[in-house]
Amino acid sequence: MKEGGKAAQPLRSEAQPSGERGGRASPGPGPAGIDTRVDLGGIALRNPVLTASGTFGYGTEFAPFLDLRRIGGFVAKSLTLEPRQGNPPPRIVETPAGMLNAIGLENVGVDAFLAEKLPALPEGVAVVASVFETEIDRYAEACKRLTGPPRVVGIEVNASCPHVKSGGIEFGQRAELLARLVRATRGATSLPLLVKLSPNVTDIAEMARVCEAEGADALSLVNTLQALDVDVETRRPALRNVLGGLSGPAIRPVALRMVFQASRAVRLPICGIGGIASAEDAIKFLLCGATAIQVGTANYLNPMAAVEIAEGIAEYAARHGFARVADLVGALELP
Amino acid sequence: MSGGVAPEQPDGARVLRADVEILANGVEGGANRRLALRLPAGWPGFAPGQFLMLSPGAVGAARRDDPLLPRPMAIYRVGEAGGQASGLEVLYRVTGRGTALLSDARAGERVRIVGPLGHGFPPPDPGAEALLVGGGTGIASLFELARRSAPRARVRVLLGARTASDLMGRGDFERLDAGLDVATEDGSAGRRGLVTELLERSLHAEAVVYACGPTPMLRRVAALAHAARARAFVSLENTMACGFGVCLGCAVPCAAGGYALVCRAGPVFAVDAVAWEGLP
Repeated sequence: MKEGGKAAQPLRSEAQPSGERGGRASPGPGPAGIDTRVDLGGIALRNPVLTASGTFGYGTEFAPFLDLRRIGGFVAKSLTLEPRQGNPPPRIVETPAGMLNAIGLENVGVDAFLAEKLPALPEGVAVVASVFETEIDRYAEACKRLTGPPRVVGIEVNASCPHVKSGGIEFGQRAELLARLVRATRGATSLPLLVKLSPNVTDIAEMARVCEAEGADALSLVNTLQALDVDVETRRPALRNVLGGLSGPAIRPVALRMVFQASRAVRLPICGIGGIASAEDAIKFLLCGATAIQVGTANYLNPMAAVEIAEGIAEYAARHGFARVADLVGALELP
Repeated sequence: MSGGVAPEQPDGARVLRADVEILANGVEGGANRRLALRLPAGWPGFAPGQFLMLSPGAVGAARRDDPLLPRPMAIYRVGEAGGQASGLEVLYRVTGRGTALLSDARAGERVRIVGPLGHGFPPPDPGAEALLVGGGTGIASLFELARRSAPRARVRVLLGARTASDLMGRGDFERLDAGLDVATEDGSAGRRGLVTELLERSLHAEAVVYACGPTPMLRRVAALAHAARARAFVSLENTMACGFGVCLGCAVPCAAGGYALVCRAGPVFAVDAVAWEGLP
């Protein structure tokens, strides 16, 4: 898929207001005859495009730009048991082909999410709740509370949180900690359980195997890469938090490599994440073994990116003679 | 302005994402530029003080990943030509790679906009004295407020910049039925000094202040308004990745505790709602 291929995608010149009951039931976008559905560890998605936690708010923020029922689903902003205010500014800084962020867990909390955010979404939107805590029993409690309400079709455990009792190391950075986290959250919910892995590890395959052994249904990878930037005029770190997470196109080849390695280590379906901004990017992840993908930072610069990517994947499948988008998964031709 | 969760967009307000044609992109003075864009279909109008997210440079067939993020820019005005709205104008200053690429964009090329975004200035009461204080690129946020308020309130505009050529939009302000005072740091136009010194001499308890400019200027405006017991509204600038409330990058500390997003709760805030000591 060369650059010119993008020109085939019609660019809507104006967002359509949505959020009304449009009566559009479930067909995935794309050319007629292409089956765009995928199964992500027990979550039936109308197409393989989700939006990544922390980049899509609670969904309603995107109602002016796109019909939420035309994407596979979205992963809501990570929730903690109690509401959190987040870090002091500066919280973000632009970096080469990417950005650093250290937002610091700002969220409304599990209860407000269930009472206020979830009911505000239109029917037919698949919501994956993301949980983020500092202790294993609190992760499990959050999973328990999120299990049952309609529209929550799965839970994504964000394993990139620093574990307070271990001196701040991320859960996802130590296999034994990760195993305990997955075991506890697995036991706390009957919903499909995704584990979002940290890329800040030496061997992603080992972490993937740990999740599989402890009963996870799918893996999401990768989270942001730990990084740093400096303002030389002030001689201060660019972020108040000093360290931040790198996202955007800059991390895409690293993320793709990790998805490739993890998909060869486990049988679990994988949701690929990392700098995906076009259908071409998304297809690379599918070919390398991802069953679905998440669009993250690209939502900021193009709030219609997820729908355009879903359409572009279906067009690619049609152009290359794949009747089902699912047939693209792992279809990489290795030398 | 309370807690970290901002209110929704103004009721019924529409937000567009559109790739729009550049009508003109010329030198305004010094490093300042004036960009005129064709109004997109369905443009819902805007409130003075609202802003756009603007792609850093023209959008073309080849995707550009670097610089990545759109830039928040105040909507200067919708320009008039022959009685018809001819274009959406933005005044900006070339300060880095993104704005340098934007300044390279030519008429006929397209830029991506998302907007109008945020909450603008509350209009002054009829007959009230409104003091509009603009510093540097902050001047751009105030023109439409001055234009719409001049027929119904007593508007006095105070503009400041480093040097005369940096005073963006000065000619447009001069054509309004409003008082205009100017200060430059080098004395090349108006009074030599800071625009806040002009404010200090004009401020009284019955006036309402509207200000936009660099943080040190706004801090000074806040202190002056507090001392004079005058109402004041400030438009804050901040780095933001999205402009519509999801990246959570543009948080500013609130006097009541917690944070508010400049993009959704602002960019205009009542001056006493901001915890000035916590602003970077």
